[in-house]
Amino acid sequence: MKQVNQEDWLDQQLREAAPYIDDEGFTARVLQQLPPPRRGTDFLRAAILLGMTFIASVLAYVVSGGGRFVSVTIERLAALPALWVFVLALASGLVVAAVGATAAISKGWVLET
Amino acid sequence: MELTDADLVARVLVNDDQHAFGELVRRHQSPVRGLLRQLTRTDVALADDLAQQTFLRAYKNIRSFRGEARFSTWLYRIAYNCFREDARRRKELVGIDEEQLQTQHDPQVASPGLRHDLMRALSLLPLNERSAVLLCCQNGLSHDEAARVLDIPLGTVKTNVLRGREKLKRMLADWGPN
Repeated sequence: MKQVNQEDWLDQQLREAAPYIDDEGFTARVLQQLPPPRRGTDFLRAAILLGMTFIASVLAYVVSGGGRFVSVTIERLAALPALWVFVLALASGLVVAAVGATAAISKGWVLET
Repeated sequence: MELTDADLVARVLVNDDQHAFGELVRRHQSPVRGLLRQLTRTDVALADDLAQQTFLRAYKNIRSFRGEARFSTWLYRIAYNCFREDARRRKELVGIDEEQLQTQHDPQVASPGLRHDLMRALSLLPLNERSAVLLCCQNGLSHDEAARVLDIPLGTVKTNVLRGREKLKRMLADWGPN
């Protein structure tokens, strides 16, 4: 019993020896040293991606002879049987839905953890 | 309603919300700074430098926090790693041996107070025992959590806590309950 009392007493003394330390500007000092928020770099990344996409599109248009391949592809699609067009549309829809569901699940996981 | 640590961590992760991280710092600064003060043998300036490093490292690596442990336990682990790296640089990792401990403890010397003697006794413990006692007995971590923080086996934590407490009890025998 004496042993238990001694341990309780020691634990109590140890807990009491750790008083609350006032912030006194500590948090502000830490926040000052944080790297700038990602928002700026995200915007820059999006701008670069959009710019690259635009340039690539213009290049593809010029190289393909004024986008002739688009009209050719549309003509080919129009010549396909209706069932094939339906299957293609369904497959595209499923792919887009799968990508969306994956993105939603991963975002939910991040929020959960 | 007050946001939980997990909510704040999610805000930092998703929106890079530095205000949310500030709230986490405000909540945990006292125990982290307190632990580091004890580990550095009450070197307040060094402890606060290490605490700042701890929170900066936590912010940079917050994606590696998986929520398996409490946020405070994760912070303690970073704090302890910061301390160890600094101690390795300063070559202060070697604890004080038994002989030195006994010669420094003189019950005849008048003590200015229990708190002072307790702090002194803690600072005389070897690092492995001091850190285990501080985490388990002072900060309320379970042995399992302390093992994660210190990155040592569970059995070693239990042994270190036991030995540390025994030494503290011996050094504070004059103050203890009869």
